[in-house]
Amino acid sequence: MLPCTGRIDESLLLKAFENGADGVMVIGCLEGDCHYVSGNIRARARVERVYAILERIKIGPNRIRMYNLSAGEGSKFAAFANEFVDQIREIGPSPINLVRAGNQGVTEKEAT
Amino acid sequence: MTGNLNTFAGSTKNPTGAVMVIGGGISGMQSALDLANAGIKVYLVESSPAIGGKMAQLDKTFPTNDCSMCIVSPKLVEVGRHKNIELFTHSEVKSLSGDAGSFKATIVRHARYVDVAACTGCGLCELVCPVTKISYFPEVPAEKEKKSRAKAKEKRLIKGPGLPHPTSSHKWTFSVDEQACSMCGSCHRACLHGAISWEKKQKAVIDQDKCTGCGACFAACPEKFLAIKVDGAPDLDKSIGAAVHARSEILGREFGRSKSGDSEQKDCIRCGLCAITCEKVMHIGALKMVEQGIEAGVDICQVCGACVSVCPVSFLTIDQVTSRTPRPLLNFFNEGLNGRKPINIHYPQAVPRVPVIDAASCVQLNTGACGTCATICGVGAIHYDHRETETEIDIGSVIFSPGIEVFDARMRGEFGYGLYKNVVTSIEFERLLSASGPTSGTVARPGDGQHPKKIAWIQCVGSRDHSCDRDYCSSVCCMYATKEAFIAREHDSSIKPTIFYIDMRSFGKNFDEYVKRAKEHQVRFVRAMVSRVFEDPLTGDLELRYVDESGKRQTEAFDMVVLSVGIQVAKQTKELAATLDIELDRYGFAVTDCYQPLATSRPGIFVSGAVKGPKDIPETVCEASAAAEAASASLAEARGSLISKEVLPPERTPGPDDELRIGVFICHCGTNIASVVDVAAVTEYARTLPGVVYAEHPLYTCSQDSQERMREIIEEHRLNRVVTSACSPTTHEPLFQSTLQQAGLNKYFFDMANIRDQCSWVHANDPILATEKAKRLTRMAVANATAGEPLDELEFTVDSRLLVVGGGVAGMTAAIEAARQGFGVYLIEQEPVLGGQLLHLQRSADGRKFADFLLSLNEKIAADDRIKVFTSSQVVEQSGFVGSFETEIVMPSGATRTLKHGAILVATGAEEYRPEIHGLGTLDSVMTQTDFETALENGTAADWHHARVAMLQCAGSRDDEHLPYCSRICCNHAIKNGLRFKKMFPEARVDVLYRDMRCYGLGELDYREARQAGVNFIRFDPEENPPAISTGETGIDITVTDPSIRLQVRLQPDLLVLSTGMKPRDTEELASMLRVPRNDGGFFIEAHAKLRPVDLPSEGLFMAGTAHGPKSSSETIAQAQAAVARAATLLSKDSKKLSGIVSRVDPTNCAVCLTCVRACPYGVPFINDQHSAEINPALCQGCGICVAECPAKTIFMGRYDDRNIRAKIEAYCASEASHSPR
Repeated sequence: MLPCTGRIDESLLLKAFENGADGVMVIGCLEGDCHYVSGNIRARARVERVYAILERIKIGPNRIRMYNLSAGEGSKFAAFANEFVDQIREIGPSPINLVRAGNQGVTEKEAT
Repeated sequence: MTGNLNTFAGSTKNPTGAVMVIGGGISGMQSALDLANAGIKVYLVESSPAIGGKMAQLDKTFPTNDCSMCIVSPKLVEVGRHKNIELFTHSEVKSLSGDAGSFKATIVRHARYVDVAACTGCGLCELVCPVTKISYFPEVPAEKEKKSRAKAKEKRLIKGPGLPHPTSSHKWTFSVDEQACSMCGSCHRACLHGAISWEKKQKAVIDQDKCTGCGACFAACPEKFLAIKVDGAPDLDKSIGAAVHARSEILGREFGRSKSGDSEQKDCIRCGLCAITCEKVMHIGALKMVEQGIEAGVDICQVCGACVSVCPVSFLTIDQVTSRTPRPLLNFFNEGLNGRKPINIHYPQAVPRVPVIDAASCVQLNTGACGTCATICGVGAIHYDHRETETEIDIGSVIFSPGIEVFDARMRGEFGYGLYKNVVTSIEFERLLSASGPTSGTVARPGDGQHPKKIAWIQCVGSRDHSCDRDYCSSVCCMYATKEAFIAREHDSSIKPTIFYIDMRSFGKNFDEYVKRAKEHQVRFVRAMVSRVFEDPLTGDLELRYVDESGKRQTEAFDMVVLSVGIQVAKQTKELAATLDIELDRYGFAVTDCYQPLATSRPGIFVSGAVKGPKDIPETVCEASAAAEAASASLAEARGSLISKEVLPPERTPGPDDELRIGVFICHCGTNIASVVDVAAVTEYARTLPGVVYAEHPLYTCSQDSQERMREIIEEHRLNRVVTSACSPTTHEPLFQSTLQQAGLNKYFFDMANIRDQCSWVHANDPILATEKAKRLTRMAVANATAGEPLDELEFTVDSRLLVVGGGVAGMTAAIEAARQGFGVYLIEQEPVLGGQLLHLQRSADGRKFADFLLSLNEKIAADDRIKVFTSSQVVEQSGFVGSFETEIVMPSGATRTLKHGAILVATGAEEYRPEIHGLGTLDSVMTQTDFETALENGTAADWHHARVAMLQCAGSRDDEHLPYCSRICCNHAIKNGLRFKKMFPEARVDVLYRDMRCYGLGELDYREARQAGVNFIRFDPEENPPAISTGETGIDITVTDPSIRLQVRLQPDLLVLSTGMKPRDTEELASMLRVPRNDGGFFIEAHAKLRPVDLPSEGLFMAGTAHGPKSSSETIAQAQAAVARAATLLSKDSKKLSGIVSRVDPTNCAVCLTCVRACPYGVPFINDQHSAEINPALCQGCGICVAECPAKTIFMGRYDDRNIRAKIEAYCASEASHSPR
């Protein structure tokens, strides 16, 4: 849990992959409705940068995604989480995990 | 009715700075907290043994489905631990004398028999108490010490399916005390196993090899000798009752006794505990062990139920041992759905968590026997000699908020409540849904425990009902029934709920959306009044008869029926009101004035909550704050005179090399978490984590006793970090942090994992995975706490002035009241005159002219030099932070002025919606309700003697193309105008076309009066039965099917009056300036829909009136007072502490690149004269954007620092291999 998605940066997002996450979800306020005015816009840019990095280093860009939700959208959150988990399941474990520990299974990291 | 007019008057001379709040429900608690936090001493008097009231009994709350207990328990705890709130539970007000400003009250504390200060709330007494029934005690208690025992004349043999199977398991050792033995041979004759040898004139000897340990000899040895000794019995040093309990527990476990008391073993195991209990604990001696079972002296049995409760197997039942009818001892908190003991804690989260002994059923208090609880209590808190005590207190004002009770459904005999077991009331159903209720949250029929599939709710049972003198609408039933149906389906998706209703009165904020959602979740709504309920005696199913909308008689079967009982004022409340000498109406609701909605007929006594008329929780909370304001305004000069400040112990400063000592608390949350997550396993796991030196799993970590215990544990184990894995940090983190502070620990040495929402709730169907996730979240929280640092909280002075934006009735009232509280006020209004929407309205609900009221408000504002009014002015810029804001306004001259103040109250109001429909604005014959009211007032209507008027409700409201929400006031407004018109011109005709008449609360009385006066009401449905309306220069023509006669009617009225509803003023700019959210309709969103109705989400910002949502003038006035009370909790303080979670620049690495200066959305960072970026902690909002952006990574932020987040990420993935992957 973070005060704002604007607090997260590229190094921390990559840190999650380095530590064995197969996917990372970043969930912020709806665009235009950020509790801290513009934090989620900055977060989106950072997520896009990490997306490009993951692509370049062949971990797979689709392992990271930013979602925007309001606090009242619990069921939508559940739908997003399920959708993302399914997506990661389909892609399979991160190459980092495959190399490091054989086929250990699938996990995902949720950061909000 | 003029009410208590001195609310606005000057203050009394030398008032007492204390208030007595009567009633400890959510209303009383809120009043108490607002008062105590604003420097007024509070005495909170509650008649039941614990505070919490009705809200504590509810399962979930509408329209957010928040768990009621979860949101109320932090309040319970806050009240319980507040230094300036003195709790009088199990107490009543006996008398009140004196006058406003200096009352004297006498409070009677009923004997509790348990010392509140000493008790730890462990609940052991309740566990060992053997009594489960209301006994038949001798009518006149024996005066002599030694009374002769009654001898049984009627004996009954109790047999199981087979013969007894004697057990020697965990047996006690019996031996003969040679000194005491009088050689009578009773023991020899009683022994069923031939283990006692005795001959005349010989002392008895027990052969231990043959003895099975049944204790028959022990029970048989005459009282005057007591020659049988017992050894080897655990807890015998405490009492024989305690020893019996201990052995019963062990044997119960051995024979597989379930929680409900059922066991596989149906035959007597001849443990002898029943006979020993009856003889040695209860001093009755009605039971005797015989060859085939037990012989009961059914005529001397006192029917206390002890023998049955100590029986470790399913052998004894209460009906067997007595010839009298057993009287159950019911748990009133659970609405009598299950039993309780004479000594009991009111409910698991009760504050104070201290049991009370019920004098009517306790054996010790009635016969002097038993007394087991006192012997087991480790702290000696139980005192049978307690007597009621009287305390006299001095107070300046009184708040009367005793709450309500539910209607006795037996008065509506046709529904069979009390006769048919599967007909329950709505409050009983709440307890059935509740996780801590009698069925642990399983929806089960009381009749047979089966899971019902078809459940019917019958609305308006004891509401809107002239036949039983409950003419008013109870306001909450439509919503709570919808909620119960909704939640029932959440518990069991195969449940098919049906709600039978008259009008769907979902008039509150977001209520219509909630009903819509319920419909989407397959809750069926049937508009029909059920005429009768019949029970099928064989199955217990219920048959409902009703007439459907097409006029057909219908019969439908249901498994269970819930009666949506209305609310009413209890008899005791009416008596109390008489004691206090305040006026009630015929139903028992307190009489108030619509301009002073909180003042009763007696000056100095204020009222809040449902005792002032039916209302829901947020309205009650709002009124409670308002009552606190009204009660304290005249005491303002005595503020702070009677309170004591909380003194925190000095914080322990951790050394850099201190060993890590982490304590972890894994919460059961009753069954909320523990029913899914294996909390014991998580606790075990937590113990293995690095740095963890202590871990436990309390039932409710947030309860007062658990918090006290946490404080002790922190000190005892010298903990320097604390982690709780429980519910949401949003609601509970402040509570745990304050406990840390009380234990001398910096409050940021704490982290919390939410294993309720994120584990037990979302993974309810996968306990193993939920438990694994709970372990992982706990591991992450421990890692974060390890990385934690002590943070300082900046303290700054609070500017005591209040800025009020909007000069309508809300803003004016708020300004006057804040000034009375002693605060300076800036009142900003964009129009040239004050008054807002009230300028366009004519008369109040009781017929007084609003113009006169506005005049008096204007006079008061003009007379008070603490209020500075800026008309034709607008807010253009706003900066600063809670306690120290700066706002720039533009005045009519075009000049700007900067105002400094500590809090902001938004009261921007709303206006009448004027859509261009049906010719409104172009035709003279089409007008709004406000226009119509004006016409009645200014003489335009003078010759409308035979006018035909049609009123169209929801003309713009509840319409996705116009206002999607219900405007709440229109139904009452139409009735008010319709009635007035009919009274002026009895020959005139009024037809009201409506969807649902939402005349909530006492408004229903006017609705009834309007119908009696001949106002005609025609219901339409915008989808199925829309009225065809044509308007033009030639006239108005309306065709609609009237469902009550099922015929098409044609109206050709002279006037068409549209109830267009209310829309908020344009506040887009203001909202973005203040950074506060608004909903789709443009109304401001409160910090919490239920418990913080007038707070805006940002600290120091409050709101009142129609800016929050549509409401009446009276409700607006109350809300304005409430907002002032909330602001007073801040403005009355000299200083305030800010959050420690703010960004801080380490200048050593700062390259002065200006990234942070550019990134900060609030423009806080600046470059100081040391050539480094600097961030003012008082202005920092704590978002952390700069921390992430800083290229030199030289900005740090409290517990959301890189090192914290990294620690959590590492802990998330750590030891992955050792845990089962999915």
